[in-house]
Amino acid sequence: MIIAYIVISFLIGVALFVNRNRIINYSLVSLFSVLQWVFILYLYHHRGQDATGYFNADSLAILMLITSGIIIPPAFYYSYIYFKIKKDQPRERGMYFSAMVVLAAAISAAYLANHIALMWVFVELTTLSAAALVYHRRNVRSLEGTWKYFFVSSISITLVFIGILFLTIALQQEGFTDLTYPALKKNASSLNGFWLRLTFIFIFTGYTAKMGLVPMHTVGIDAKDKAPSPAGALFSSIVMNMGFVGIFRVYEIISRTPLKEWADTILLVSAVLSIFVAAVYMMSVKNMKRMFAYSSIEHMGIAMLGIAAGGIGYYAALLHLVLHAITKSSLFFQMGQVYRIYNSKSLYDTGNYLKYNLTGAMVILLAFICGTAMPPSGLFVTEFMIFRSLFESHHFIFLAVILLLLTMIIWAFGKSIFRLLFTPAAGFNEAGMGKINPFESVPQLILLGAVIYLGINPPVQLVELINESVKYISY
Amino acid sequence: MTDILLIIFAITLVFMSIANRLGTYVNILFLQGLLLFGISFIELKEINTLNLAFILLETVIFKTIAVPFFMRYVIKRNKITREAEPYLPNFVSLVIVTSIIILTYLLSKTIQDPLLNKIYFVVALSALFTGLYIIMTRRKVITHVMGYLVIENGVFILSIAVGSEIPMLINTGILLDLFVSIFLLGIFINKIGDVLKDVDVGQLKQLKD
Amino acid sequence: MLSFGLIWITSLFFTGIVNRVKSIASGRKGPGIFQPIKDIIRLWKKGSVYSRTTGFIFQVAPSIYFASIILAILIIPLGRYRGVISFDGDFVFFAYVLAAGKFFSIISALDTGSSFEGMGASREALFSMLAEPAFFVLMGSLALLTGYTSFHEIFIHLQSGSLISHTLGILAAFVLVMIAMIENSRMPFDDPKTHLELTMIHEVMILDNSGFDLGLILYATNLKFSLYGALIANLFVDALPWYITIPVFFVVQVLFASVAGILESFSARFRMGHNAQFIFTLTSVSLLIFFGVLLAIGKFN
Repeated sequence: MIIAYIVISFLIGVALFVNRNRIINYSLVSLFSVLQWVFILYLYHHRGQDATGYFNADSLAILMLITSGIIIPPAFYYSYIYFKIKKDQPRERGMYFSAMVVLAAAISAAYLANHIALMWVFVELTTLSAAALVYHRRNVRSLEGTWKYFFVSSISITLVFIGILFLTIALQQEGFTDLTYPALKKNASSLNGFWLRLTFIFIFTGYTAKMGLVPMHTVGIDAKDKAPSPAGALFSSIVMNMGFVGIFRVYEIISRTPLKEWADTILLVSAVLSIFVAAVYMMSVKNMKRMFAYSSIEHMGIAMLGIAAGGIGYYAALLHLVLHAITKSSLFFQMGQVYRIYNSKSLYDTGNYLKYNLTGAMVILLAFICGTAMPPSGLFVTEFMIFRSLFESHHFIFLAVILLLLTMIIWAFGKSIFRLLFTPAAGFNEAGMGKINPFESVPQLILLGAVIYLGINPPVQLVELINESVKYISY
Repeated sequence: MTDILLIIFAITLVFMSIANRLGTYVNILFLQGLLLFGISFIELKEINTLNLAFILLETVIFKTIAVPFFMRYVIKRNKITREAEPYLPNFVSLVIVTSIIILTYLLSKTIQDPLLNKIYFVVALSALFTGLYIIMTRRKVITHVMGYLVIENGVFILSIAVGSEIPMLINTGILLDLFVSIFLLGIFINKIGDVLKDVDVGQLKQLKD
Repeated sequence: MLSFGLIWITSLFFTGIVNRVKSIASGRKGPGIFQPIKDIIRLWKKGSVYSRTTGFIFQVAPSIYFASIILAILIIPLGRYRGVISFDGDFVFFAYVLAAGKFFSIISALDTGSSFEGMGASREALFSMLAEPAFFVLMGSLALLTGYTSFHEIFIHLQSGSLISHTLGILAAFVLVMIAMIENSRMPFDDPKTHLELTMIHEVMILDNSGFDLGLILYATNLKFSLYGALIANLFVDALPWYITIPVFFVVQVLFASVAGILESFSARFRMGHNAQFIFTLTSVSLLIFFGVLLAIGKFN
């Protein structure tokens, strides 16, 4: 089933690439969304059955797949609006949708991969398709963004490969050759600590490029800035979750060995540094998309804190990732509308958004409340649980530092958002302003409503999935 | 014999750190390709012929002939100035690369592993960090790609050390190498050359905060 | 004693070969290979002129410099034949005898009070300082490889080893050639033919020397060249009988001279700023030779 899904998705990608007809294009894209959901539902009902093959639909994969299933259809919808207004070349449109479908399929496959090298291959594939999306506008700046994204991603993917090689050394010492995750988890405790440490450091550093944590966090910023908004939404949600899955699976391997505490320290330091970097840049950055990108870095740091602290933190971290993905993607979708009104992403050129686009302004306000984790947002619940787990694991100093940094972030974020909403824009000519249909914002409002609802009243199935995902490490 | 080749490989890293001209970098990459060919030929004799042929072709045709040739072509076509333009003086680079080699050696001293041939480990990690160092301290886009190729060579050495029992891993690594290098060199540098006047990272500095 | 004699004989024509190779490479016929020694003899027949600003150091330094080279030559063995002086750790003595001679030539350059000579002295001191670790790491590695600490024993036992020690020998020869180029102030580190004081290193230090003293210094340079040639030859002669050793010795010397000549003909001098890093590279290379030695004796793992 999984292989069939991948093959069909790639066929759809190829068809989109070759085809020039708009109607066929959009029906193929809709077909892919439907396929995605059929696939997810099928896997949900058959999860965890095939633990030995190359793919395994375990709970973590299903959880992340459902998140991507929620985000991808609106991403297609906003891409459709984007092209309707921009009137692009059919060739570029085909390439864009093709890259997006391949990206989504590769991410799904990476979630599901049961073999450490196979996951690596699919992560590499996402780099390629994401680079195509970043390069969509074909000007000097998007070229620069693409270059940086591709180059740093390639280096980080090489680091992951080196990590896998070290893991192989450790395995060969003990006479194992099986590189599937269940086998690795089973054999982890007998492996040499030195090689495991190197493995963890290299794979962690490599995947931080995808996830957006400190050593390689710069990769995503330019990409999210330069890609069209719907693609930026995918980069700051499901791609980041994919990086998390990569790190989490290695963490699972290491969590039953004596190295767990050491790994926790690394995660903790990286997480705190990420939040620090995000705070520093959010104070100064004037480009809103980049600000949202830094905010994503902050949230990834918070999720990592939950993993590092343990206890209730595991559950909270996963829920946090899901909710953050939904929040941030709706914020990026809304950015597309903001850009259509002002033709600029800079805070200097924008203002009085409430007056020009009421529903959009409500989305921004709601997303701000959700994104800074104020009640009633679901992120408030998860952040609260993560802080509790930090408190319970006696990381008081870190907790104090993080609370201080978060206050700074809320202030910086709020200052910019309120400036966008209420201050009059300098030198803005209302006459040439684009009109926005209020109904365009409805999917964003639904997504944000889901964030609030899922945080306050998570359905049983969701709780069950998350608990199953962290079952192995929270024994 | 492979030990000697590996030591010579490490020496090429030292000379790369003080190379002033892009031509020297290309020559060093050519030499590294030859060394890798020798190493893989001696080390991997046992694995099946088809696989061996693939690996040897990759090292000879791709690493030794195609990449240096194409580098020269790109340098000439885009009229890149011949100096490498490092941010740091070469003397500092030399000291740093030497200490990288010493540090990886010291790191390897902490391993207790009778199966692993440690010189592979030392040379591969040195190549990795030297490549990263070159990327960080050189100004031009093309030197960044060269740094990346050095990293790839290091990964290749490591995968030979590890993968003689799991050829699948070597092949995966090689495919990554081919794929990324072709993509970086073929599509990107040429594109950048079309869009920008000079292939210099200086022009790729507009995105910042 | 054999090596002393051979080195002396080589010194008569060594620079001649270098010059001849350079002439041929540039399409000229060139002077005979004994021309340099003839020039030196001519200088020896002259008296010296001493500047009034110089003290006695300036007068004794050339002789001490020359004596230090002679002393260093006495240490060099050849194949199975010991040098005149040979004891454990003599390579340290060798290096510091040469350094002592260099020290005197440096202070004599400073003694003249000329700013050009001071500049040259400072450069010479810097480059020798940078080349020193390379020499010691190299000799230390060879000592580790063989387990002995005198030139004679090291060279005798070096060739008994495996393929790896032969290859290490080639790498060591590369480092020694480069050290010899630095110590003798030849291309690509220094251009003996230059006429601009600002870019000179060694030549500028002896601007004030004349007559007999100048002859001594020039002859010392020739001796130094053949001394390093002898060291390199030692890497390749086993403990063989004399009728093989002596031809090998001369072949290596002539090869070395030709390499020096070819290098000078076809390479440009480094920029002064690049010299330091290039010399330091030799230390890095000898460090890698050291790792190779560790491999060869099985201490690497």
